Amino acid sequence: MDELLQFVITGITVGMVYALIALGFVLVWKSSGVANLALGQLVLISAWFTYGMLVQAGLPLWLGFPLVVLFALALGWIIERFVLRPLIAQPILSLITVTLGLGYFIEGVVTFIWPWSVDALPRLFPREPLHIGTAVVSQEYLWAAAISLVLFGLLSLYFKYNKMGIAMRATADDQMAVQACGIPVTKIFSRSWMFACVLAAVGGILMSSIGGITFGLVETGLKAFSVVILGGLNSFLGAIVAGPLIGLAENLGGGYLTPLTWPGVREVIPFIIIIIVMFLKPYGLFGEVRIERI
Amino acid sequence: MDLPAGIRNFSYATDMAIFRTKTHWALLLALLVILFTAPLYWGNYWLGVANLIGITIIAATGLNILLGYCGQLSIGHAGFIAVGAYTAAVLTNRLELPFLVGLISAGVAAGLIGLIFGIPSVRVKGFYLAITTIAAQFIIIWVINHWSSVTGGFTGISVPLASIGGFVFKSEASQFYLIITITIICIFFAKNLVRTRVGRAFIAIRDNDLAAEVMGINLFRYKLLAFFIGCFLAGIAGSLLAHWIGFMNAEQFSLTESILYIGMIIIGGLGTTIGPILGVVFIRLLQQVLTVQVVPFLESTVALPAGFASGVTPMLFGLAIVLFLVLEPRGLAHRWMLFKSAYRLWPFSY
Repeated sequence: MDELLQFVITGITVGMVYALIALGFVLVWKSSGVANLALGQLVLISAWFTYGMLVQAGLPLWLGFPLVVLFALALGWIIERFVLRPLIAQPILSLITVTLGLGYFIEGVVTFIWPWSVDALPRLFPREPLHIGTAVVSQEYLWAAAISLVLFGLLSLYFKYNKMGIAMRATADDQMAVQACGIPVTKIFSRSWMFACVLAAVGGILMSSIGGITFGLVETGLKAFSVVILGGLNSFLGAIVAGPLIGLAENLGGGYLTPLTWPGVREVIPFIIIIIVMFLKPYGLFGEVRIERI
Repeated sequence: MDLPAGIRNFSYATDMAIFRTKTHWALLLALLVILFTAPLYWGNYWLGVANLIGITIIAATGLNILLGYCGQLSIGHAGFIAVGAYTAAVLTNRLELPFLVGLISAGVAAGLIGLIFGIPSVRVKGFYLAITTIAAQFIIIWVINHWSSVTGGFTGISVPLASIGGFVFKSEASQFYLIITITIICIFFAKNLVRTRVGRAFIAIRDNDLAAEVMGINLFRYKLLAFFIGCFLAGIAGSLLAHWIGFMNAEQFSLTESILYIGMIIIGGLGTTIGPILGVVFIRLLQQVLTVQVVPFLESTVALPAGFASGVTPMLFGLAIVLFLVLEPRGLAHRWMLFKSAYRLWPFSY
């Protein structure tokens, strides 16, 4: 029973971080219709950049984190301006594959600058475990979940009240109409990429403060895809609901299925969920079913 | 349309023929002669490179049928190659079946696995399919790594040399003949496939699948057929790869390898027969030159940062994929067409 509670709490909290990363994907998909397959690599490079700022340059936290956010903003702007903007109105296949190439490039940059490929961030959160009922949960998970929740809240306020946020929602709804209203659509695109990169950076910092910086962070990005698939590609609510679900499935499955199947089953559970969702309900829990015309 | 001046075709058959002029036939003959006498003047090293290129061309041709002609994105191609490679390895090593049986069953096995993961393509496309095939890649590799009683697991499995009848393909040169023959058969098959009803149905599906369905093309059947053919060729390539390397380990079939295959056919040119060939030759030669010539040379002359050797290849290839998509989305094949028409019209290119 203690085990169960522990799996549930860990699963939900890790799932919140997945949801946060997935939110970045949904943002870009909704506003510009680009499927960002470089998500995992964005998580990876921002985690390493944080490492570079905090450990290699030895900056204090109050200076290091704003620099990481600035870096993520710049990265998002550069990606949108120089890679995606020339491809506006190209077929979806090019839009997908260009992000694949981008991810591959970023992976190369990471191995180029940080060839040792495994390291740890300095301790950001207190490490002594908390006792919740009978379960023992390390505080890092709870902090990560709390930070994700705060960011969800901030983002939803932004989309509800800020002028730019409202414009972004409008773009997601109808690009042509927005253009006709005089809202610069390209600016919205670059804004959504910048947000996506910042979310990936925060997710990267949270994940790597829990599990260290490894190439596993790329797989964290891939798990975020299972979140968006389960939740529905164009639904913020879907991402927030599906994130904890994926985290739960991963931890419960990893806990109870490993003796029944092979070790490492934890790692493939999100992918098995993807396949199941594809067969049963391909547009996800909250996704909008697109009706196409010729 | 792209015939030299003064050539006329008087029947539909000659108009549709792949080789239409005497020059075409002469060039084909010259190419075949050069290819089949290559072991006489190429060293073992370059024969090895050529073997790798040949195997990769088979797999890339499969992916090109799936992605370039039928428009179904698959980012799990390395996983399907792995299915073929392991089928061949298990059949020839553990059950000691002959090479040809292993080759065909490798293709069929990869094709069937491809069918399973291709089923969602009937309802979804684009990004959904991309994610499904990434999931396929991870699930396949996980199964291979952990089903160790059959596949050897993380330690890998050794594969005997290919042999037909009593003849064992022992030397690099004999393997070159085997691989190049199968490669040519596969290219010929792919070239002709797209000239048939099936190929035209694929192209219709790629251009607009709803319109294709309205015209009476059975989407379910043709999309799955594209998956089967694409993965069948991947399986054939996997089997040849297994026998050529002689040792299989799931690490050879990573997600990056899958991305590289997509990069190859994009750089070569989607939806052309020559595209995969050009793309594969470009990428594999670049890989060889970088890892064997350039990097050791630079390392011996200039003090390089430690990550240079392992980081420069993905950086360059990622950059190449992005640049080709942005600047030349039709790939090297388009350049080759431009060159051919310029050559035909020269010197009066008005």
